Amino acid sequence: MSLDRAFRLTGLVGVAFFFAAAFTPLALALHLWMAVEPQLVPSDAIVVLGASVLHSGILSAESTRRTNHAIELYQQGLAPRLILLGGAPEGGPTEAEIRAKVARLHSIPAEAIVTESMARTTREEAARVADLARPRGIRTVLLVTNTAHLVRARPLFERAGFEVHAAPSDIYFEPITPEARLVLMKRLLQEVLGWIYYRIAGYA
Amino acid sequence: MIGIFMLAVAGLTSAAAYLLGVRAMGLVPTRLGAALGKMLEMVGAVLTFLVADLLVALVLVALRGVTGTFVSVYVIDDTVWLGLALLQGLVFQWWREVSARQAGAAALEQRGNLG
Repeated sequence: MSLDRAFRLTGLVGVAFFFAAAFTPLALALHLWMAVEPQLVPSDAIVVLGASVLHSGILSAESTRRTNHAIELYQQGLAPRLILLGGAPEGGPTEAEIRAKVARLHSIPAEAIVTESMARTTREEAARVADLARPRGIRTVLLVTNTAHLVRARPLFERAGFEVHAAPSDIYFEPITPEARLVLMKRLLQEVLGWIYYRIAGYA
Repeated sequence: MIGIFMLAVAGLTSAAAYLLGVRAMGLVPTRLGAALGKMLEMVGAVLTFLVADLLVALVLVALRGVTGTFVSVYVIDDTVWLGLALLQGLVFQWWREVSARQAGAAALEQRGNLG
């Protein structure tokens, strides 16, 4: 096959994929297919995985969504502890500290909050939470992150010795604009790549 | 609804460009298929560079344990990769195009000299 023909075929696949991703419900269908059913049952702790924080100390939209969901779960009485994760790769206050501040503003007592800001990857988060949880007798956790990330994060926490109950923060997320569909598709592809990477590396 | 609106606008401007091309610029309608083929080749080249860039990035991320430098796997999430791949793909395809044109011109010149 000539290079031109190979490029033309690749281009055709790319253009078809672009139209399908932007103008059809493909991304949503994939999102729902990957979705983990929420298991909102009483647990020992709510673990909120890190997303990102701006240098100015403002939580990203994803981080805010996860934090709010965790606060809601706590207020429903599903767990007595809140483990908040997230560092500050660009410097400034850590994501975990800011999340803790938000939680306290929602009247969650400081003694119910545990923060961890050293982990840089999901795998490190699982290991660090295991270290923090063991002395506190935490065995079952409600794991809060987005649906696509749960696919990769859940086995890591199970491997770390937890009984994991999924608490996806974005189950009702439905993209309505072509751009939002593309963003969702990008996130799903990114998690699939991450999952493949973790499988190859033997982490999951 | 927004998607349909966007497609309709793109359809209108494409139709206007077609009319302008045929009536004012003298472009040949039957060559439109070949132009679409060229567009697909260009997109294919860009996507090939994108995949290559992401694969190399993933390998380097995997080597972070060896190099001691932390690079998050989320680096592959950046839209800038697409911009870089676009530049790489365009340059590569135009390089091939100009080289082929130059080779064609040289062949014609040689044939002229022989004649």
